[in-house]
Amino acid sequence: MASKSTTRPLPGRQQLPREFIAQHQRVRIISALAQETSEQGYQQVTVADIVRRAGTARNTFYENFRSKEDCFLATQEFAMEAALERVVETAGALQSWPQRVRAGLTAFLSYVAEEPALARTCMVEALSAGPAAVERYEKSQQAFVSLFKLGRDVSPHGADLPETLEEAIIGGVFWIVYQRLAAGELSTVPELLPELVEFALTPYLGAEAAREVASGDDDHPDAEL
Amino acid sequence: MRDPANPPAESPEYPPELARLPPGRHGLPREFVNHNQRERLIAGLAEAVAEHGYAGTTIAHITRNAAVSRRTFYEHFASKDECFIAAYDTVMTELRGRVAEAFDQEEEWPRAVRAGIGAMLEFLATEPHLARLSMVEALVAGPVVVERYDAAIQSLVPYFAAGREGLPDEVFAELSATTEEALVGGMVSLISRRIFADRTDELEALLPDLVEFTLTPYLGSAEAAKAARAA
Repeated sequence: MASKSTTRPLPGRQQLPREFIAQHQRVRIISALAQETSEQGYQQVTVADIVRRAGTARNTFYENFRSKEDCFLATQEFAMEAALERVVETAGALQSWPQRVRAGLTAFLSYVAEEPALARTCMVEALSAGPAAVERYEKSQQAFVSLFKLGRDVSPHGADLPETLEEAIIGGVFWIVYQRLAAGELSTVPELLPELVEFALTPYLGAEAAREVASGDDDHPDAEL
Repeated sequence: MRDPANPPAESPEYPPELARLPPGRHGLPREFVNHNQRERLIAGLAEAVAEHGYAGTTIAHITRNAAVSRRTFYEHFASKDECFIAAYDTVMTELRGRVAEAFDQEEEWPRAVRAGIGAMLEFLATEPHLARLSMVEALVAGPVVVERYDAAIQSLVPYFAAGREGLPDEVFAELSATTEEALVGGMVSLISRRIFADRTDELEALLPDLVEFTLTPYLGSAEAAKAARAA
């Protein structure tokens, strides 16, 4: 069984750089794990399910990952990096912090909507996939903390805000998205934007200013900041 | 403040299954043991899960901790899962009762919120094993428990939604519908992160931060901060 793949020819692949093929296979496997996990639940999925879905050999799986657990952790890493990259790219183009939060949340929610299997795997299934997965899930939330902390500089009472505020805001945002994903209400995720923006900005700017940014009425973002 | 989520709390007597196992448990009178087998099994599971995690816990661990036979276990529960669910429900009933009681004892809503959160933190801090069982291990214990866990978190929503009552119309009307869900999710994430990291000793120090965080949408930062620091 294990030697099967070595005898398999690799037609037409010789022109592609080896690194590209390796990366491509890795991503195929990751994506297959996400599909299978979001359909069956993490505990039920087997390596056999994953390689069947990915259309790769079992050997290829074990060349890339030690185990299902290892592959799961890589999937989390992959999705979080992708989501964070998209958030930073979108938000970084803007000057004002409230607008950056709005743009960042927009990017985050649209990533979730575009990659439902990855999102469900990382935000719902991760919690039942053992301590290492939970730890990575926690870490992924922490990655957003520093982006939010910048809000303290623009808040009139930034110095007095509780130490744990950003952790709590991100926990709240993740919880709301988690609820929708767990309930299979994927299509409602992008609609959450105004509510989440308001929720995230209120502690820094007050409800009124937060609501203005949330509604998108704030046409002159840099005027007051 | 009348508790909006639960009927008036019952007497706050500590259920025996949550009490730490008596040290000399082999010497207990037979009658007491028989009456308390189920409770002892639940306590035995909590102890085993604290030591081995949910996945690593076996029926043998549970029966050894409870000092009962394997057969006795199966007279009460069909499986480890079923025993865990019973334990989870017991812990949550206790926790919810304490939160309700603390909340009810205060007249003003901001003080009631503070008392409710304080009661939750105190319970979790003094019972680190039960904290881990209910907030960390519950998530790996299968879909039935996860569903209960989600419902338990959502059951906190009405405590915060009660804060809308005192608000002027224009604020109330505009406060987004998911506010309470987000507050509850944020609060639980702070709490469970510390339990996960075995830092339950830090839980009670979270009180002012959590009070300020949860009151801000209703009262504004300045008032919320004041309520958070008030003793």
